Amino acid sequence: MISRRDFLKLVVKGAVLGNFSQLITPPLAKAVAAGEIHKLPVVMIETGTCTGDSISLDNIWTPTFSDILTNILDWRYDWIMNQVQGQEAYGILQETYEKMPQEYILIVQGSMIQRDNGHYNHVGYENGKLITGIELVRRIGLKAKYVVAIGSCATYGGPVAGYPNPTQSTGVQDILPERRVINVSGCPAHPDWIMGTLLHLALYGEPELEKFGRPKLFYGETVHNRCPRRSFYDQGIFATAIGQKECLFRVGCKGPVTYSDCPIRRWNDRFNWPIGCNTPCIGCTEPGYPDLMSPFTSHLPDIPFPGGTKVNTDSIGLGVLGLTSVAITGHVVTSLYKGRIQKNLLKTSSKTNHRPALKKAQGFHKYWLKKTNKV
Amino acid sequence: MKHSVKLRKPLLKQIKADNLKGSIIQSQPLWVRIFHWGFAISLVVIISTGLQLHKPAHFLALNFSKVLVAHIVFSWFALGFLALRFTDALIRKDDSLIPKIRDLKHFPKLMAYYFYLRSSPPPARKYNSGQLLIYFSWFLVFLLASFLGLASYWQGEHLIWVWRLVGGFQMIRWIKFMISIYFLATIPVHIYLSLTEDISRLQAMVTGYERRPPKKN
Repeated sequence: MISRRDFLKLVVKGAVLGNFSQLITPPLAKAVAAGEIHKLPVVMIETGTCTGDSISLDNIWTPTFSDILTNILDWRYDWIMNQVQGQEAYGILQETYEKMPQEYILIVQGSMIQRDNGHYNHVGYENGKLITGIELVRRIGLKAKYVVAIGSCATYGGPVAGYPNPTQSTGVQDILPERRVINVSGCPAHPDWIMGTLLHLALYGEPELEKFGRPKLFYGETVHNRCPRRSFYDQGIFATAIGQKECLFRVGCKGPVTYSDCPIRRWNDRFNWPIGCNTPCIGCTEPGYPDLMSPFTSHLPDIPFPGGTKVNTDSIGLGVLGLTSVAITGHVVTSLYKGRIQKNLLKTSSKTNHRPALKKAQGFHKYWLKKTNKV
Repeated sequence: MKHSVKLRKPLLKQIKADNLKGSIIQSQPLWVRIFHWGFAISLVVIISTGLQLHKPAHFLALNFSKVLVAHIVFSWFALGFLALRFTDALIRKDDSLIPKIRDLKHFPKLMAYYFYLRSSPPPARKYNSGQLLIYFSWFLVFLLASFLGLASYWQGEHLIWVWRLVGGFQMIRWIKFMISIYFLATIPVHIYLSLTEDISRLQAMVTGYERRPPKKN
């Protein structure tokens, strides 16, 4: 079996060449044939989601998704991939939970909907009772070997938790504080990020995680640091509108605050990526997306006010500065009118109480002070 | 016709001593003045480069890596000047910049003065309550901004708890922007009042000495 060091090298090499899955397949096939890999059972629960991450995962080109399911992972329960339905499918989930504790990987896709005890998100039917997403994720998650949240919604709440968040949605880590959740964020998550994390779990256990619980091998650097247009930024050459070829920083690119390897890995089998088609990065892998990243064409987020109004941060800044200017101008005019400025300046700048009077003494160029009544 | 008369030094000294309004005292020691002007210059560079990094002006084709370097270098300078001031305050046991309850009690009267409801400001220690609030808040927000700057400089390698507490890079950037707006809103007020309230105080920030009015009996 390939070493972890070689695996990490393949991750980077695969990102650069765009064939991570092709590179990883031969050594994996050997390891599977030699019986060195114990196929990890995987169950996926979808909660408040658009299923975009499943669609993204299906977008692996070589090896196909079915190759991975057959050889490396034991994909047991997934709404999109299930060959059966109803109680028969749900029974597989229950069987995994009961018979394989601390063996299976739980993948969660979608945000945790908490409002009204989660009853806006039913994901199962058990003994005549509807099971909520948070209930099922907690139950299955507590017995899982690893818990992996994929996509922005499952990791940090994502668009479902966007302002004003009527469903009180949040990420998986918040409802499973006892467990370390491995976050594979993105809207959607890149298929290599999902599969790479699963392969690392299958081969070497938990990968090294960064500050927000994401695998460092995919989220260790900002988009900005690896951006092919970084030289434009360094030289101060900026696009003034979306669609131009220069650095898109001025039109709201969130590359400087977004951690992912999109610039080298790119999307759709390395065909292209947002900045490659002249649109700014929208920061979909970061906590707080989309609220903190929108409007996508502006650097700083809009600030919500009571009543649903949102005001852009730049406008607030300009408003505060304008108000200060008006206040100071008004104060200057009033102070001049009332004579306060003149009075203060005279009071604090005159050095003496009275002009000294001198009298010429007898003799050449000699003066004495005249005795005067001091004020 | 006006004649200029060159007076003997003893006579000049006598004239000054006899006629000087109030007394001249040292109010701003050397380290305070060094801190003030050093911090002011650093802050101007930090804020202007920060705004340039935030929203590049299209008429300025600046080298951004150099702008970032200037931003970081002057932040360290400003922190150094702040450390000087702090050390100086400790050595001299100077608490003139720390607001106390009795200072804050005068704040409504001070506001009444600024809004022309009183003819003179209320009595104060070295600095009035408004100055104390603004100066002290500047220290706090500058330290906060520097701390967040350090967290973003290390890119999450260190101070991870700060990232988690704040909620990510975008929030760090937002807070730093709001702090710069706070500085930009309050610095003009400071300059305006320094120029129009007591010009002798401003002089003291250059020479170290200011003239105190004679005490009323």
